[in-house]
Amino acid sequence: MKATRASVSPIAWLIAPSALLFALFFFLPMGLMALISVLSGNPVVQSNVTFTGKYYARILSDSYYFEVIWTTIRIGLFTTLAALLVGYPLAHWMARIRGRTAYALLMMSVLTPMLTGIVVRTFAWMALLSDKGAINQTLTGLGLIAKPLSLMYNEFSIVLGLTHIYIPYMVLTLVGVIGRIDERLEHAAQNLGASPLRAFFEVTLPLSLPGILAGSLLVFALAISAYVTPILMGGFQIMTLPMLIYQQISSSFNVGFAAALGMVLLAISLALIIAYNRILGMISGQRDLQ
Amino acid sequence: MTIIRKPVNRRQFLAVAATAGAGIIAAPHVARAQAATLRITGWGGKWGQTMSAELIPAFEKEFKCKVETDTAFPFLPKLQASSRSNPVYDVLHTNSNEQWAALEMGIVEAKIDPKQVPNIADVYPYAVSDKIVGVTIFTSAIGLGMRTDKGYGKVTSWKDLWDKAYDGVRGGYVIPVNSLGQAFVMMSGMLYGKGMTDLDAAYAALEKVKPMKLADFTGTMEKMILSGEVGLAVIHDSGILRYDGQNQPTAFVAPSEGVMALEQVLTLTPGTKVRELANAYVNYMLSPGVQKTLAESVWYSPANSKVKLDDKYNDKLLTTPAKVATLIQPDWKWYNAHKDEIDSRVNRIFRA
Amino acid sequence: MTSAPFSLRFGRFCYLAFNVGVVVFLLAPIAIVFVFALNPTPYIQFPPVGVSMRWFEKFFASRDFMNALWFSLEVAVLTTVAATLFGASAALALARGRLPGSRAITAIMLSPLMLPAILTGLALFQTYVLLDVGRPTWGLVLGHTIVSIPYVVRTTLAVLHNFDTRLEEAAQNLGAGALRTYFEVTLPLTKPGVMAGAVFAFIVSFDQFPISLFLVSPGHETLPITLFNYLKFDLDGTIGAASVVSIVLAVLVVVGLDRTVGLRSYAEL
Repeated sequence: MKATRASVSPIAWLIAPSALLFALFFFLPMGLMALISVLSGNPVVQSNVTFTGKYYARILSDSYYFEVIWTTIRIGLFTTLAALLVGYPLAHWMARIRGRTAYALLMMSVLTPMLTGIVVRTFAWMALLSDKGAINQTLTGLGLIAKPLSLMYNEFSIVLGLTHIYIPYMVLTLVGVIGRIDERLEHAAQNLGASPLRAFFEVTLPLSLPGILAGSLLVFALAISAYVTPILMGGFQIMTLPMLIYQQISSSFNVGFAAALGMVLLAISLALIIAYNRILGMISGQRDLQ
Repeated sequence: MTIIRKPVNRRQFLAVAATAGAGIIAAPHVARAQAATLRITGWGGKWGQTMSAELIPAFEKEFKCKVETDTAFPFLPKLQASSRSNPVYDVLHTNSNEQWAALEMGIVEAKIDPKQVPNIADVYPYAVSDKIVGVTIFTSAIGLGMRTDKGYGKVTSWKDLWDKAYDGVRGGYVIPVNSLGQAFVMMSGMLYGKGMTDLDAAYAALEKVKPMKLADFTGTMEKMILSGEVGLAVIHDSGILRYDGQNQPTAFVAPSEGVMALEQVLTLTPGTKVRELANAYVNYMLSPGVQKTLAESVWYSPANSKVKLDDKYNDKLLTTPAKVATLIQPDWKWYNAHKDEIDSRVNRIFRA
Repeated sequence: MTSAPFSLRFGRFCYLAFNVGVVVFLLAPIAIVFVFALNPTPYIQFPPVGVSMRWFEKFFASRDFMNALWFSLEVAVLTTVAATLFGASAALALARGRLPGSRAITAIMLSPLMLPAILTGLALFQTYVLLDVGRPTWGLVLGHTIVSIPYVVRTTLAVLHNFDTRLEEAAQNLGAGALRTYFEVTLPLTKPGVMAGAVFAFIVSFDQFPISLFLVSPGHETLPITLFNYLKFDLDGTIGAASVVSIVLAVLVVVGLDRTVGLRSYAEL
């Protein structure tokens, strides 16, 4: 940290195009939605609209919306937890594996699901889990069960589908972080008599915390705003916030209420991002002190 | 060859530049206006194939225009968000319940002028009744679809759907988003209460009809019946009949209490710039030739009473005044007025 | 390794078995898609009754699907170029521009990732109505670009934070200006991160659903939208065939990337 810090480099101007793009195509649209959420009609196409708090009042007046919000957050939490528990070991393996081919194969199995398309991926789960799907047909065929198991149309199947889709995001966030942790630290701990497991918990895991946080934040945010997977896997019997928003837009034509619900989802996401930045700040602060 | 000698002053230059700039921004609109483009909505699947392969090209040729069909749902929110004087569609094709909602929002016109659309003179009365906004071009009958190979009993009444024997294989729709689901709510009120508007009776009946596998679209339900995932379900006749001749173990049952009408309705948007063409399109869709082609391609009952279908279709579709009389037309204006209340209630009833 | 105690070998075995299990979990639905694409019955059926190419024929013969596939590729390529240019330059400004409040700006640049895309889609549609521009392809591309930029920013920032700033300082000490340093030192070193970001931008765009939902226009529909609408009417193997085609494309992209820039340690978020 020398004196150079004082002056803003000309490179800073490179932010300008993005700033303009964000102002026009992100903040303007979002501001418009925020505005619509407190207006009696759509100001773009209607005249004489007035300010109203009725959409927010509606959310507050009916416990159903709280349940929907809680379901959405719960599905997000379970998905994040599952993606972390399943993704971390894989990321660890990928970060430590030797050999270019093995790594490329693993990377491909992580990237391929991402490119399969959200509609098709979810559809494939339906083919596996539905009453006439692969798992139930196999089990009935083997005579292990008489009636098909209810593997679909519940929260479990939604979490399963979402976890599958978002594991790659978790893995790709973690691989780099774990890869940068010096393996010699683990070896040193082991040489001092710690078991590999203990070395992992006391050295690798704490050092990869920023990656865990970043990956979790990403997966949670993606999971609470998912739409296709919850409708197809949940069979419409589980209602999440994005589903409700879409329903309000597409079938009740109540854009104002949809916008208000969207603002709620936005608030949840923002609260999370702020909390994340705080925690990250605390962690890196501690490390600086050490 | 003309050589412009006159120097262009700054003001002229700016005017030209501004026009050019506006032209670039407005280019899509201008292009549309020049080619006389008719913007409509339409279904995908077999309907869409028949339209795009055969009927639309013929219309374009006859009227020397271009037709742009939006088959990507949802239609109404896009129309709702677009400017009233420059709507994204000229003709809206959708189900009757959405047409009523659109009328309520002032984004479609209540009626179509029979003077501009001569074929309206030939339609059955239901197609232009006071339960309809615009004009119905086809209808299908909402009843029950069943598997014939599973040893289920004889199904004659809507009430058979409440039989415990169908637990686990009973099929219905996501009520807030699907016309058939909404029609089913009204039918439940009629079956178990004082009539189609008896919501308390309907809620109690829906509570008892669970467990039910829900679909958001009839196509999904068709496949669930075909794969055997569902054994008895609410469906429109077209969803079963269109597999005619494929040896599928499925049948459509028109319950004794009557079938509900699922009308395919066309309306014009107030801001359309191609009104003549829009009217011509509605008239075209109601013409006997087009009605026959589409009816026989997707098994919808034609609204035009003068259409003569082949025997195979004639036997099963609603093609005589007597058969048409069995149709129950739901009061969508009433339903839409209660939609929010019904939605929040049924969302609770059907949550897992 | 043979001398390792049993508990260690057992632990090692569990670790490998678990990870292999995860890979199987990741790939299982894809295997199902292949089975479904080849099975001739027009609905989900297991076990499959045979092998047929009819869904592939239907897919490739369908004008709608082919148009959608090409349009999706076109949008994805345009999005990739735009998101890479915007995102990489923003990341550079954030990492090297000594911008005041760069941390807050970074959070803002990443925020489209965290917000419900369905709302972003509707909001953009409403904005285009407000600006009275209709539903042009560039509008769709910009919508995709907004949600792709965060990935490029993340991957590029990761690389920028990792490599030694002393290289740049050395170049500047040797008299190179900030821009020259950028083009001759920073850019080549950042390339792998930018490339990884580009791949993610491509993936995000190619698989984008909620943003496209409101922004596609007739005749210009992306593949996920076409598939989703198709699914409403015809739930048959064409869906499977469509995804097999995209998987093959995907693998080609990944292999290509590995051959050109190398995947190791760059394809990360």
